[in-house]
Amino acid sequence: MLTKRIIPCLDVTDGKVVKGVKFENLEGIGYPPELAQAYEKQGADEIVFLDITASVDARKTLLESVERTAEKLFVPLTVGGGIRSVEDMRTALKAGADKVSVNSAAIASPELIGECAREFGKQCVVVAIDAKREGDKWMVHTHGGRRRTELDAVSWAGEAEDRGAGELLLTSMDADGTAEGYDIELTAAVADAVSIPVIASGGCGGPEHMYEVFQQTGASAALAASIFHYGTWTVAQVKEYLRDRGVVVR
Amino acid sequence: MVTIRRSVKYPESTDSYRIGQRPRVRVSIADYGVGNLHSIRKALELAGARPVVESNMRNLLDADAIVFPGVGAFDAAMSKLDRYRDIILDRLMAGTPCLGICIGAQILFEGSDEGDMPGIGLIKGRVVRLSAKRVPHMGWNEVRSDDGMFAGVPSPYFYFAHSYCGRPEEDVTMGITDYEGEFPSVFRKKNVLGVQFHPEKSSASGATFLRNYVKYLEEKL
Repeated sequence: MLTKRIIPCLDVTDGKVVKGVKFENLEGIGYPPELAQAYEKQGADEIVFLDITASVDARKTLLESVERTAEKLFVPLTVGGGIRSVEDMRTALKAGADKVSVNSAAIASPELIGECAREFGKQCVVVAIDAKREGDKWMVHTHGGRRRTELDAVSWAGEAEDRGAGELLLTSMDADGTAEGYDIELTAAVADAVSIPVIASGGCGGPEHMYEVFQQTGASAALAASIFHYGTWTVAQVKEYLRDRGVVVR
Repeated sequence: MVTIRRSVKYPESTDSYRIGQRPRVRVSIADYGVGNLHSIRKALELAGARPVVESNMRNLLDADAIVFPGVGAFDAAMSKLDRYRDIILDRLMAGTPCLGICIGAQILFEGSDEGDMPGIGLIKGRVVRLSAKRVPHMGWNEVRSDDGMFAGVPSPYFYFAHSYCGRPEEDVTMGITDYEGEFPSVFRKKNVLGVQFHPEKSSASGATFLRNYVKYLEEKL
């Protein structure tokens, strides 16, 4: 049986892992290669590496840092931030990424999703969606949450799937940094609308939130940052908590 | 068994290296021009082999063993290999050991629903789309296999990332995985081994699998 994945996220700027609250007030935590390796040892199923300043500063993903991180990592590594073209994606894969996530660029030119899927296989292509609630729906934001689009998150998720995305990384901007739990409604709505895996992101304050998102939504994976970075919980402890409650984890 | 003793230290020394012994097995990794070959190269190195990433498909055949890595789409891989299909097939039939990973295992079949190009055709049967509700099958799942390559793995969970799987029409299935129904996840036809999961991404279990594989290659030499 396929297990639910627990994914520590490294938000990286200037080669350092930071943890921001609601996409602002960035605080330094450590370096990506060391953190990634430590999380693999704890039992992390994957690592997500997001260059969170890439889009904003129009910089390319910090390839050197990706290379050093991939060097000693033997679980999948997803890299995102500043990916704008098939060539950018190829460069990230050559640097050691196993999957690449696209966000702003996929919205600016949606055909990019299909181009990348045809070249590298759709299992390589992750579409990241940052969504913020407005009334009874969620609107997609880009550029690290700074720019609102006219796209409805649920319908954009469907379009991303149709165009060849292999997976969605869904972040609730409302929940992000609050440690009060994932946005269950958003995650359920998106996971029900698509038949590709959805990674729930934003708001995790402990394993009870992961339990909740796995119980109440079709999410395939739960991503978290601060609970791991601050050592509140190890990945192993989180998995033990979930296993005790009947969630199948590795 | 004759070993070549050298005093130089090899980088990344792990328990897989017998100290002072040079990795003997030369493994060619086929570079289809897409995707990340870094992981498989690194993992084979740690397992004690001497991997070379080979973009010239003709040179592939010079090594002790061939690895078809798990990157790219079916046609992307086959368009690079197509011209050499006959000599690759001849060589595999003649006994050159080969490990196919994910798409690299799928191309051993006659064809795939994912692409238009014919595969290598070593294994009778086609590659078909998974029938599960949520595809790609992405993440860690259990591999049930008695194959010697799994001896001593710390956990039966391996990492998968695929939408298609091989359906052999001959008796080559050596391992099975359940994703809303069972599908074959390990194939063996004499000297050729195919796995649908990614050992190079499967942490300690993948490392053990590859170490077993390299040991098997060493014994064959």
